[in-house]
Amino acid sequence: MNAQTPAFPNIHEIWVYLSGSPLLALVLTLGAYQLGVIVYERANRHPLANPVLIAIVLVAATITLIDMPYSKYFEGAQFVHFLLGTATVSLAVPIYKGLGAMRGRILPLLAALLAGGLTSIVSAVGLARLLGADSAIVGGFIAKSVTAPIAMGIAERIGVSPTLTAVFAVSTGILGAVLARYVLDLVRSREWWQRGFAIGVAAHGLGTSRAFSVNPEAGAYSSLAMGLHGVLGAVLIPLGARVFGF
Amino acid sequence: MMPGLVQILLFQGLGELITHFFLPLIPGPVVGLILLLGFLALRKGVNASLDEVATVFSQHFGLLFVPAAVGVVMFWPHLKAHAVAIGAALLVSVVLTIAVTALVLKGLSRGSGK
Repeated sequence: MNAQTPAFPNIHEIWVYLSGSPLLALVLTLGAYQLGVIVYERANRHPLANPVLIAIVLVAATITLIDMPYSKYFEGAQFVHFLLGTATVSLAVPIYKGLGAMRGRILPLLAALLAGGLTSIVSAVGLARLLGADSAIVGGFIAKSVTAPIAMGIAERIGVSPTLTAVFAVSTGILGAVLARYVLDLVRSREWWQRGFAIGVAAHGLGTSRAFSVNPEAGAYSSLAMGLHGVLGAVLIPLGARVFGF
Repeated sequence: MMPGLVQILLFQGLGELITHFFLPLIPGPVVGLILLLGFLALRKGVNASLDEVATVFSQHFGLLFVPAAVGVVMFWPHLKAHAVAIGAALLVSVVLTIAVTALVLKGLSRGSGK
């Protein structure tokens, strides 16, 4: 028979079609995340087996391997990225549910947020300066504990690089999600609401996703911390930058 | 599930509009979150459909960071020359921030008898 050719279409043509459409990036992103979740569950939700970290490494390795430029990948993955905004809005629900319990705690929460926010800036900027990083890089640390979209806005406002700020913000989120349990155990923090709030102040969205996977109360307080840090940071950091001139 | 999703998208859109015209520094989704929170406080309750959507989102919040975070990982090689200073600053800072926040909360809530 001479039906060989239609029975075996040229694979490379399909490949071109797939990589030209959003499908490849979407399957890659969701598939890598699904793998990450499986590993995370198998490891009893151990913080080092963070599913997001696993997904990030898998996707980055794959697109490097198949020589796909990041911009091409993002063209497809932007559909997932878009939902980040929608999911942020939906955090109002867990926060609302925890509101009753939060009312009596608002002063300790605000004090902890201010202390944590200041610690984040002073320690990162101070240490980077001490280790001889140039001022362009030091500037990127100022807003890094604020959730990335707000952090980039703050960066523009105070005249430092939004790209570096976003890179440091996301890296901080990953580090915080992985390390939080050890730090919190070390300082003997036992209440879920306190643990959740601390992770949200330091590691915004990625910390919040870890908190939700461990305990719903921790997740609600982490979202609250992330939101408050974002809003207060957007007001206070540019103000502080003007007063202290850093 | 659909009514809840539509509701959230509406608040997201409203947030984007307010950001665009009045509050350029606060991203639309954060404004949307605050508006939805106010709406829930007025309504005094969360309907089942909204609750369902919010639960799904909060369980897979991490997935939505993957596309942006991959860009961050791809950017790291550009920072090679400063790797030690940056790595140390990020690491020490995040550890201290978590510790200080948790300690302040513990100290202050013990004082108030909780």
